Amino acid sequence: MQIREYILRRLMLFPLIIVGTSIIVFALSRVGGNPVAIYIEHEMSAEEVAELEERYGLDEPLPVQYLAWARGVVTGDWGWSAVSAQPVTEALRSRVGATLEMAVFAAIVAVSLGIGLGTFGGSRRDRLPDHLTRVFSISGASMPIFWFAILLLILFWVNLGWFSTGRSSPEIFGSIAHPTGLYTVDAILAGNLTALLDALKFLVLPAITLGFGAMAIIARMMRSSLVEELNEDYVDAARAKGLPERLVLRRHARRNALIPTITVIGLGFGFLLQGTVVVEIIFRWPGIGRWMADAVLRGDQATIMAYVLFTSVLFLTVNMIVDVMYAYLDRRVVLGA
Amino acid sequence: MADISAAPTRLTIGPGPWAVRTRRFGELARKVLSNPTTLIGFVIIVGLLAIALLAPVVTTPNVPDPYQMPRDWGARDAPPGTPGHPLGTTSTGGDVFYGVFWGARTSLQLSVIVVGITVTVGVIVGSLAGFIGGKVDEILMRTVDVLLAIPELIFALAIAAVLGPSFGNIIFALSVVFWVKYARIIRGQIIHVKQNEYVDAARVTGDSKFRIYLKDVLPNSVTPVMVQATMDMGGIVLTAATLSFIGLAQAGLVEWGVLVSDGQAGISAGKWWASTFPGLMIFLWALAFNLVGDGLRDVLDPRTEDR
Amino acid sequence: MGSTDRGRRLRWWTIFTALTMVVAACTGGTTDTTGAEATVPGATTTPGDTTPPDTGAPDTTTGTTGTTGGGEVVNPGLYVHAADDEPLSLDPAQVAAGEAGETIIIQVYERLVEIGPGGPDLIPGLSTEVPTVENGLISEDGLTYTFPIREGVVFHDGSELTADVVKYSWDRALTMDLPEGNSSVLSDLVASTEVDGNNFVVTLNERNAAFLNSVVTAAVASIVSQEAVEANGGVEAGVVNEFMASNAVGSGPYALTAWNRGENIQLEVFADYWGDPAALDVRIDQVADSDVRALGLQAGDYDSIETDPTFIGDLEGAEGVEIFSGDFLLEPVHMGMNMNIPEGALPPEDTIPVDFFHDVNVRRGFNLAFDYQAFVDGAMAGLGGPIPHYLPQGMLGYDESLPTFTQDLAAAQEAFTAAGYWDEGFTMTVLAEEGGIFEIAGLVLADSMAALNPAFRINVLAVVETQFDSAHAENPFQYAAWIKNADPFADPAALFSAYIHPDGEWGAVHNFRNAYADADQVASLVDEAAVELDQDRRVEIYQELAQILYDDPVWLIPGNERALMAHRSWVQNFQMNPLWPRPSIKFQYFDK
Repeated sequence: MQIREYILRRLMLFPLIIVGTSIIVFALSRVGGNPVAIYIEHEMSAEEVAELEERYGLDEPLPVQYLAWARGVVTGDWGWSAVSAQPVTEALRSRVGATLEMAVFAAIVAVSLGIGLGTFGGSRRDRLPDHLTRVFSISGASMPIFWFAILLLILFWVNLGWFSTGRSSPEIFGSIAHPTGLYTVDAILAGNLTALLDALKFLVLPAITLGFGAMAIIARMMRSSLVEELNEDYVDAARAKGLPERLVLRRHARRNALIPTITVIGLGFGFLLQGTVVVEIIFRWPGIGRWMADAVLRGDQATIMAYVLFTSVLFLTVNMIVDVMYAYLDRRVVLGA
Repeated sequence: MADISAAPTRLTIGPGPWAVRTRRFGELARKVLSNPTTLIGFVIIVGLLAIALLAPVVTTPNVPDPYQMPRDWGARDAPPGTPGHPLGTTSTGGDVFYGVFWGARTSLQLSVIVVGITVTVGVIVGSLAGFIGGKVDEILMRTVDVLLAIPELIFALAIAAVLGPSFGNIIFALSVVFWVKYARIIRGQIIHVKQNEYVDAARVTGDSKFRIYLKDVLPNSVTPVMVQATMDMGGIVLTAATLSFIGLAQAGLVEWGVLVSDGQAGISAGKWWASTFPGLMIFLWALAFNLVGDGLRDVLDPRTEDR
Repeated sequence: MGSTDRGRRLRWWTIFTALTMVVAACTGGTTDTTGAEATVPGATTTPGDTTPPDTGAPDTTTGTTGTTGGGEVVNPGLYVHAADDEPLSLDPAQVAAGEAGETIIIQVYERLVEIGPGGPDLIPGLSTEVPTVENGLISEDGLTYTFPIREGVVFHDGSELTADVVKYSWDRALTMDLPEGNSSVLSDLVASTEVDGNNFVVTLNERNAAFLNSVVTAAVASIVSQEAVEANGGVEAGVVNEFMASNAVGSGPYALTAWNRGENIQLEVFADYWGDPAALDVRIDQVADSDVRALGLQAGDYDSIETDPTFIGDLEGAEGVEIFSGDFLLEPVHMGMNMNIPEGALPPEDTIPVDFFHDVNVRRGFNLAFDYQAFVDGAMAGLGGPIPHYLPQGMLGYDESLPTFTQDLAAAQEAFTAAGYWDEGFTMTVLAEEGGIFEIAGLVLADSMAALNPAFRINVLAVVETQFDSAHAENPFQYAAWIKNADPFADPAALFSAYIHPDGEWGAVHNFRNAYADADQVASLVDEAAVELDQDRRVEIYQELAQILYDDPVWLIPGNERALMAHRSWVQNFQMNPLWPRPSIKFQYFDK
């Protein structure tokens, strides 16, 4: 299949999948619990509950409600997010930046550590350093994130006082404008070094916590690919020419090994996205993960729907980009399989 | 939650008479365990299974329900070494030692049941899609795409929140979420194997479709499923623990995740035992299965074969 | 080549070792240091020892991560409180009692009269006097209340307070009448509101002993800026005002400056406040995880934290931290018993008949079997206790000598034998919200019953908030029993009407008429006390009821907790008043 054709096909399936996803979530939030549960207090009479349901159009049949919601999404009215007491679109806008910024920095940690450890292990195959890096990288994926995060906080917050929770120092937050919602980018745009350092300082612990978990998948893939590449004939040829091992590794093998590693970045992204839920709760990160968890526990349907819609679009897009990128880089891949 | 099994696995135990396959399996096992870290993982798993097995022997099962923490309200926050509580107690007087041992049983039940269900469902759906192809394939795979578009943890969270946090519901929620990967793997493998020559050869000899499936296609798809299943054994326990942390756990259930999140408040006040021991158990459990799964994949992955 | 290679390898090793050490340090370091902290309980400083904020902090550039000791004040001039959840609305007309929005409303808006810091006594607010019969501001028949409105008061938007604005504010809540809000406390009693010169006059439709204490001081009775409302959507019946839901324009000592969702809410001292100005600006951080709140308090970043009694014991003795334990809250934890179970509604595991709780022996049996000590120690850090039915400590009519249930297994066995359940046993599911003291109360109940008789099995069904609230709002209620806390009522009239009256809020849902030996007697006593203005007579009636309810209980009350909060010892004048909405603190009184 041609790449162009493949992309087109994926793009056409896109809305289908999103509609399917939203129907599942919509149905799910109606099976148990009440979608206006967040407003319901036990003192309320049945009439008051009915009144609330009427306000949010919940007295209509389910398909009508779904269509009303879908129409709202298309026209830009995503409803009212009760857990953050503001319109969903506004809440989403202010929170997406936070999650994305954390995910990007965690990805930087995961990718650099993962590729580094993978290269380190792969080039020392089956020797002690390989075994140690293997245990180290796999332990990242085996750590209960919430446990690890608290350990980091006890050490670096309570005992050392180096870092704190939250996203920025409130007094510094107010000193610059936040046009993008990504505090590091905002600080650079404002040319404010203090703000940049402040934003980075608050990113360190969450990015390490999250990145440490996502690192394993990249490290393991990098290692396997590298081992494979080092078995290739061209590597032997290069070695035979007397090229130093370091250059063989850096110029040839590592570069080629990166190609299959890209495929797992899509999966790693999924890991990061759900990892943000727990990390945001613990580090008080005002992102969409915590917003979602809160909404699920308190029964805020508009928020749940918006979150799922948003993340599934994001997830599908990232995976498609990764597939296409991989296809470009490695023409051997058969698309559509 | 941790998914590090992404590497495509192409090598299979392969076609051939069962005797040959058994022999190959033996070879495989030897090869897998020749890696010291995999061996360590394997030893840890054996140790954890022993803990699960010995739980009713080394502790007195709680009555009426052994999967409820025995609570000694008079001995809350007792440090390790307290008589009767070798690993201390939690803030509600739960015996940590009991929690560690019976928690292994809970984790074992949870992961075995969920892996059993998900592999079965995944294999059936994946086989139908891969083998029948056409419209059926299209419909099933689009369903899989839909389910994959929702992050696992979020999906499980939503299901469990709707159903209410009981052990059975957590199993159900995790099963709904985890089967899709198997369906994908199986379908991919079947399509891959279908294109192989020996299936063509089998077809020439006049075997029926189903026979070909049973004899050649399915056994060849087993190994990647095995890798995934091993890793999921760990991932499921981690995900369940995370659900417990967020607030979805059956009240009083002996489960490591519950113990960790309940005990965490005390760490900063020096009461480290209530969360450290169960936290360590979750970590070891996930680590062990991930190490073995990873080792398995390494050996099964043809790209890293020695020439 | 060799040397470069070794150099590289060395670098790799260094990174690797460093990482390993970090991980090792996390686990190792924590236990050591915290262990040391826990052994120095004497290091706690008293509020009086704290250095005054103006001299104590020469370094004005303190960041959020400051020193961890008890000495130097972190964030001088700013009070940081860590709250556990975020408001659903800041609109007094929309906020529900006990909801996080009240935390802000109570600081930013003012009411006609306020509950003073010291106790239950009322102090003038936007009314210059507290109406009494003696000063003539309450009419002889007890139906008309006159509030002389304070002059020279300005709102945060600069507009002025008049009697018309007061009327506008009350009428606004009554007109909007949002189901999730608390406007029914006004509409239940208020017949009419009028402006008479500079006075605001309210006429009630019946005499009520608790009008000032529990209606005029309620968040829903807050006075809002008419200009601000009219400029932003005005008033419409049954429609939420989105501006008011996320903004606040009041006349209180604090003005809302920012609400960063998911992060914090910032309040600034209002310079033109008519009364004594507050000393500190305030920031309320959203910290959902209780461990993180506790850690932040120890790190010095928070001056006080929303405190759950289940982890209070862990903070005792932490350096620079004090635990305030004040009066009893007025919201005891209680277990509702359903005498109105629909046929076939119970979970399949349950073996009890639908008329299980109709039998007084069963209800008494539960009350006698419960391990109160375990609950108060295990869930309330020992800071609480059981109460007579239904008079929490501090409530009018409470007296130590009133009969109170204590665990008595022999009597419990007798009761269950009389009810006919002793030999065959039973299984019953009790619904509770997951996490925290309600779940623990359920577990204590399960353990208590199993200890009494292994054939008595209690399943604790701990569900998330959304499910609990939905189930709880259903009528008829679908489970045999549930655990939650009572709504805080400042006066026994409201409390007995909601929880004891056979035709009251819960009396109707659970059909107390199936329970009481003499339901009409209970009804007439509760009704009589509600309109009686002679306090001594009221006390007498409530104590008589407490006696009746000891013999014929319709609740199981595991315990009532004290107002409790952990704070930094550098906070001066720290005080709580359980009669204020949660978290029962007013920042205007604090300094550090």
